[in-house]
Amino acid sequence: MCGIAGYLHFSGEQAPPIGRVVLSMLEALGCRGPDSAGVALCGPRHADSLVLRVKLGDHADFAARGADVEAATARFQAGGFTRTGPYLRFTVPAAGELTDLTRAIEALSPDIEVVSAGTALEIVKQVGSPANLEATYQVSRFEGSHGIGHTRLSTESRVDLSHSQPFWGHGCADLAIVHNGHITNYHQLRRRYEQNGVRFYTENDSEIIGIYLARHLNQGKSLESGLRAMLRDMDGSFSCLAVTATELGFIKDPFAFKPLLVAETERFVAVATEEVAIRAAIAGDYTVREAQVREFKVWRR
Amino acid sequence: MAEITPLATVECGQRPIREINQEIKALIAAGRTGIELAGPGARHNLGVGIVQLARIHIRGSAGYYCAGLIDGPEFEVDGSAGWGLAESMMSGKVVVHGNAGNGAAAAIRGGTVVIHGDAAARLGVSMKGGLVLVGGDCGYMAAFMGQKGTLIVCGNTGEAFADSMYETTCFVGGKVGDLGTDAVIEPLSEEDIAMLDSTLATHFSAGERARKPAPRAFQKIVAGRKLWNFDKRNWQWWREAL
Repeated sequence: MCGIAGYLHFSGEQAPPIGRVVLSMLEALGCRGPDSAGVALCGPRHADSLVLRVKLGDHADFAARGADVEAATARFQAGGFTRTGPYLRFTVPAAGELTDLTRAIEALSPDIEVVSAGTALEIVKQVGSPANLEATYQVSRFEGSHGIGHTRLSTESRVDLSHSQPFWGHGCADLAIVHNGHITNYHQLRRRYEQNGVRFYTENDSEIIGIYLARHLNQGKSLESGLRAMLRDMDGSFSCLAVTATELGFIKDPFAFKPLLVAETERFVAVATEEVAIRAAIAGDYTVREAQVREFKVWRR
Repeated sequence: MAEITPLATVECGQRPIREINQEIKALIAAGRTGIELAGPGARHNLGVGIVQLARIHIRGSAGYYCAGLIDGPEFEVDGSAGWGLAESMMSGKVVVHGNAGNGAAAAIRGGTVVIHGDAAARLGVSMKGGLVLVGGDCGYMAAFMGQKGTLIVCGNTGEAFADSMYETTCFVGGKVGDLGTDAVIEPLSEEDIAMLDSTLATHFSAGERARKPAPRAFQKIVAGRKLWNFDKRNWQWWREAL
């Protein structure tokens, strides 16, 4: 199962808070996956700084860990630290090298992980329902233009924060994905990446989609071409959404194993595993259709 | 579909689906056979398993398995429908004004399914009777392993159309994405043209009808019957089919 949802508002005015829209969609999809919930939301773009969200550990002294990360990131001119539960949020000047920064942070402990980094993107996810996510992080207050969300029914790997979705495209600022399905050639692809020195944080097959698209985008290719290439390189079932700082995209596998509904108007685009999520979050008169096999599309702000 | 007045209204709201379906059945048992569902919100399993004659009008979109396993009633859906529309229906009629999700009219044994918009993948797979009529396009693998009945698509089809069929008869007004294994194109007979003419006239308004291809422009696709019996000399077909 699993439920995925995405929303992009075309015109800046009269837009409901993106956090509220994506959360409403997730609440309607909650019964598809009670294990964990998460969102990847894109707010107004900071011209010259990156926002980082770091998971400080699984069962650690988060205050002490937070201080460690502050110390380790001082040479990158990090500032504006705030901590909620296991998450430390802070900003760094965008000009720096992202790989060096994440290495400096993650070298502190194996269970410390940069959950997201971006000029516009922030990821919040945790074990439990969408309602719990809202209670802990007030995601509905997040203002922005587009975002994606996920409710998880775990079928192949453990249930914890790191294994939850959305996944950041590690090493690529502002890229996040959510995935409903199963990548059956995951182990093959993973071995190939690991031989090239790529670090995997989980045993969740969906993680590889973020890593795959991140490499595409870091090579200067478009999100659209990355999604299209997934049809060539990934086996199994996938209905998948991706966001960048300015885009929302989707791809459906060649067998249509998993649902994905699309509502597209002049004002907005909404995509979700079930129409019930779109109707619950967005009032008004619009049509909804099921995406076809191998269909992929990217919308820009 | 003419309305039966006065309509009994079932408010869906956030009530459990089981309660909604039980209320529908109770209304029919009390002789109220004209029913409308208000505020369906694309929720799942609406109107599943209704086996009495009734007219049920869904004022919005329906989710998965709408009108599945029915025997007799007529459904009308103003919006779109999710996966498994009218799955395994025995008889009756289901009309959707919007689009339908994957597996619409799968395994139906009889009755009529009309989708005015587009149908997604696996339309009418393993159908064992009845009529499926799509006003727009259909997705991939439509009519796969169809055993009986008639499937008409006014627009284009996806790939692997009419793959591995037994004896369903298909008509396509637009372009066939690509023919599935053992699907063959057969010339239209005069009876086919008359049937298409009357079917389109029955289910579409004159305005809609004018936008559909003429009956003579449809292609007829049937099973080549080469997969009916295994023959090891033809194993290449089997390799493709499986």
